[in-house]
Amino acid sequence: MRNPKKAALLVAAMLGFSVGAHAANIDTSKRIHVAMVPKLIGLSVFKANEKGAIEAAKKLNINFLYTGPVTASAQGQVDVFNSLIARRFNVITTTSNNPTELAPALRRAMKMGIKVVSYDSDVAPDARDFFIQNTAYPEFGKALVESVAKYIKPDAKIAILSSTPDATIQNAWIGALKTYMAAHYPKMTIVTTQYGQSSPSQSLTAGLNILQANPDVTGIIAPDGAAEVGAAAAVQKLGLTGKVIVGGCSDPDSIRQYVKAGVIKESPLWDEVKEGELVMYVARLAYNNAIHKNSTFTAGDLGTFTAKDGVIIFSKPLIFNAQNIDQYHF
Amino acid sequence: MKEVENTVTARRTGSRFPLDGWERSLLALLVVEIAGFCIGIPGFYDGIGSLLGLTQNFLPFGIVALGLSVVILTGGIDLSVGSMAGLGAIVMAEFWQGLHLSIWLSALLGVGTGAVLGWINGMIITRLNTEPLIATLATSFIYGSVGTALAGENPPAGFPDSFNALGQGEVGGLIPYQLILFVVLAIFFSLLMSRSAYGRKVVMIGYNGEAARYSGMRVPRVICSAYVISGTMAALAGIVLASYYSAVRPDMGDILLLTTITMVVLGGVSIFGGEGRIAGVVMAVLLLGVLRQGMLIAGFSDMVTTMVTGAILLTAIAIRNLVSGRGTGFALLFLRLRRLGGGKVPEAAE
Repeated sequence: MRNPKKAALLVAAMLGFSVGAHAANIDTSKRIHVAMVPKLIGLSVFKANEKGAIEAAKKLNINFLYTGPVTASAQGQVDVFNSLIARRFNVITTTSNNPTELAPALRRAMKMGIKVVSYDSDVAPDARDFFIQNTAYPEFGKALVESVAKYIKPDAKIAILSSTPDATIQNAWIGALKTYMAAHYPKMTIVTTQYGQSSPSQSLTAGLNILQANPDVTGIIAPDGAAEVGAAAAVQKLGLTGKVIVGGCSDPDSIRQYVKAGVIKESPLWDEVKEGELVMYVARLAYNNAIHKNSTFTAGDLGTFTAKDGVIIFSKPLIFNAQNIDQYHF
Repeated sequence: MKEVENTVTARRTGSRFPLDGWERSLLALLVVEIAGFCIGIPGFYDGIGSLLGLTQNFLPFGIVALGLSVVILTGGIDLSVGSMAGLGAIVMAEFWQGLHLSIWLSALLGVGTGAVLGWINGMIITRLNTEPLIATLATSFIYGSVGTALAGENPPAGFPDSFNALGQGEVGGLIPYQLILFVVLAIFFSLLMSRSAYGRKVVMIGYNGEAARYSGMRVPRVICSAYVISGTMAALAGIVLASYYSAVRPDMGDILLLTTITMVVLGGVSIFGGEGRIAGVVMAVLLLGVLRQGMLIAGFSDMVTTMVTGAILLTAIAIRNLVSGRGTGFALLFLRLRRLGGGKVPEAAE
C-alpha cells in the first residue's frame, strides 16, 4: 500500500513543477453552488459530514446547501435532485438510499453539465463522476476483528450483530472481517450472526438473545451504529462487563458511555467531519475539471488522495478508545 | 318539518352550485400559481418544454387519483393503491427479467395484475361485507409483502430505453409521454363518469346506496368494478414509475396513497361518496403537483412542502364543509350569514 503511493508521489515530482502547483492551488475564483443530499436529514453522522462541508465550503468559495428528504427514501432524494437541476446547481453530492432508483435523475443532471459526487453509499457508477468510499473494505475488516480479538482468547467464540441481511456495506465488511479472521485468528469461530434492523431496541433484543442462547460467546462484533449500542447495552444489562467484549462501529457520541465503562475497548470508524470536508474539495476540483477518474490530487490540509476509476478512498479507519474518544463529537 | 325541508333544499342547491364554482376556483388558483411561480421562482420557467417536463415528476399520482376517484365516488376507499402500484411494477419486472418476455407484454401483464388485485378487493368488500377501509388496509399489507418477496434482495432495474421513455421521454423533446397518457385517461374518465350510465350508477350508489339497491341496481357488481378500475390505474401508475426510475422497489408505491387521497378530496370529491367530478380531480392533481415542484425549486425543504400540502387539505375540506352543508354545523351558520348579507329574508331580523 505504501510503496505505490510513494511511487506516485515520485512520478508527480518528476513530472515537474506544474503538477505540484496545480495540486496545491485550487482555483476558487468563481463562486459555485454545491448541494449535499444525505439519505435523510436529521441523522447525526450526516450532520457531522455537513459540519465539515460547511468549513471547507468557506475556504473553497462554495455556496453550500444541505438538503434532503425527511425519511430515508430514494424517491424523496430524486425530488430533491430534480429541484437542484432546475436551480442550476454546479455540483450535487449525495449518499444514496439505493443505487438504482437514483440513477436516471443523476444521469439527467450529468447530461446538463452538473458534476455528481457520491460519498458513503455509492450510486450506479455511470450516474456519478466520483465516489468517495469511507475506508477500504479489507482494512476496515481488519480493524473490526482487532477491536475485539486483541482482548479475548485466540480460540474464543464470537457473534456478529449486523443491521439487515441485505445491507450492502455491512455485508462487505462482514466478508472482509471473515477473510482477515481466517488468516490471522484461524481458531476463532463465529457462532451466530443476528440482525438488529438498525433499530436500537431491536438490536438490544438481538444482543440479549445472542448472550442468553450462547453463554460461551466472549466477543460481539457489531458493524452497525445501532447494533453496537444494542450489543453493549445487552452486555451491561446482563452484568457481563469485562467478560464479553463488544466491538464494531458507531459514532462516538452514541458509544461514549460504553467505551468509558469498558464494555467497548476500541471501535473503528472514520472522521465523518473530515469526510465532509473532502466531499467539498472533490466537488470543487470536479467542477474545475482539475481531477480525472484516475489521478492524484491534494485536498488542502487533508492530504493527498488518489482516484482510481472514479473511486476515492477517504481514509484509514480511525479507532476510538477510552483515551481519544473525548476529542470527537458527532 | 319545515327545518328539515330547508336543510334538504340547502343541501341540494349547495351541492349543485359550488361544484362548478369549485372547479373554476381550482382552475383560477392553478393559473395564478403557475404565473406566480414563473415570475417569482428563478429556474421554474425555463422554456415551455421544461415546464411541461415538470409534470413527469408527479403525473403517476394523477393516474392513481383518477382510479381512486371512482372508488371514493361510490362511498368507499382504497388504501391498497400504493402496494398495488408496487406489486404491479414488480410483476412486470419479474416477467421481463425472469421469463424474458418483451417489456411491453410484461407491462400489460403488470396492469392486468392490478385489475385482478382490485377485483380481489372488490370481492372481499361486497361478498364478505367488509368495510372498504379495513378490507383494503388488510390487502395493502398482503400485496406489499408479496411484492417484497417477489422482488428479492436485488430488485430488477435497468429497463430498455424504449420503455424508459414512457416515464422520462418527450414527443419531439416537448410533450412528455406521461402527459399524453394522463390527458387521454382524464378525458376517458371524465366522459365515463359524467356521460355514461355506469358513471351515473356509481354516483347514485355513493349518494344513496339503499335507494340504488331498491331501484334495482346491481350494487355489488358496480362497487366491485370500481375497485377493479382503481387497481388497474394503480398498477399502471406503478409501471410509469418503474419507467421513470428505470427500477422497481416493493416500497415504491408507498408515497402514492396519502397524496392521491389529498388530490381527490381537494378536487371536490366528497369522501362520503356521491359528489364530485373528474375535472375537479384533474385540476387538483395539477395544482398540488405544480405546487410541490415549485416549492422544491424555490428551495423549500421536503418538510415544508409536506406541511403545506396538509394545510391546503384542511383548508379545502373546511371550505367545502362550510359551502356544501355536509359534516359540520358550519353550513347552517354560513347560510344564515348569507341571508344576513342579503337582508331580504325576514328571519334576518333576529
